[in-house]
Amino acid sequence: MTSALGRVPLFEGVSEESMERLVAVTGEMEFEPGQFVVLQGQVGTGLYVIVGGSVRVVRGTEEIARLGPNDFFGELSVIDQMPRNASVQAIEPTRCLALASWDLLDLLESDAKLSLNLIRGLAARVRGQGELHHH
Amino acid sequence: MALSPQELVDTLAGLSLFADLSRPQLEQVAHKMTEESYPVGQRILRQGFTGTGFYVILDGEVAVRIDGDERARLQKGDFFGEMSILLGEPPVADVVTTRQLHVLHLGGPELEGFLRDHPPIMYRMLKTVAMRLRNASQLRS
Repeated sequence: MTSALGRVPLFEGVSEESMERLVAVTGEMEFEPGQFVVLQGQVGTGLYVIVGGSVRVVRGTEEIARLGPNDFFGELSVIDQMPRNASVQAIEPTRCLALASWDLLDLLESDAKLSLNLIRGLAARVRGQGELHHH
Repeated sequence: MALSPQELVDTLAGLSLFADLSRPQLEQVAHKMTEESYPVGQRILRQGFTGTGFYVILDGEVAVRIDGDERARLQKGDFFGEMSILLGEPPVADVVTTRQLHVLHLGGPELEGFLRDHPPIMYRMLKTVAMRLRNASQLRS
């Protein structure tokens, strides 16, 4: 599992010690086509990284994005502890690594590189949203 | 209108970005960053252009404009410039002073090291960026 996590941009450059802690607290989950991974409006309990398969991100009735292997989602609710702002539904059989909120927050406090990667990921999404907004 | 080191640390202590820092850590921040003042109407970040920095507002106000449309006003305690530094991309907005501005400035290349040295600042920044993402999402829906 370390190698699967090592390929995820979110965890790039993260110390070996943090990666070992990460592996120890990460679970694997499988989803059938059509199954929801997270539901809009629910309070988030974790972050997900796609290992295989693909998902659609839906806000209301509108599909706003599709994500595939090595993409992550669910981080926003972990950081600000607000309800999920979108639902995520498996398109095909999909395997995810799941990291619980409290474990992620622990890691963020101790590993500055992981926080930096996460800020970059969020910042890129803010920009992406801005661009979509222009259309 | 530069503040004395004592006044500067007192001012920083009142800003939420630095709320978790001890007095010696605030002194480090004050030492690391440069105080600057700008008159009204000055463009501090320029949409589409490189050459940036990270700014924390001590006093005054700026407008954030994209293609001439005002998107936000930032005031005391707010910060800007971090997105383009962290993404390595030019700013996507103009930032223009609407009141006489007093800021702390950190050069772009120094931001990553600065955040690594001060995880509590990074965590506060992470929360702010998360909030912006939520607001951007809500604008869309």
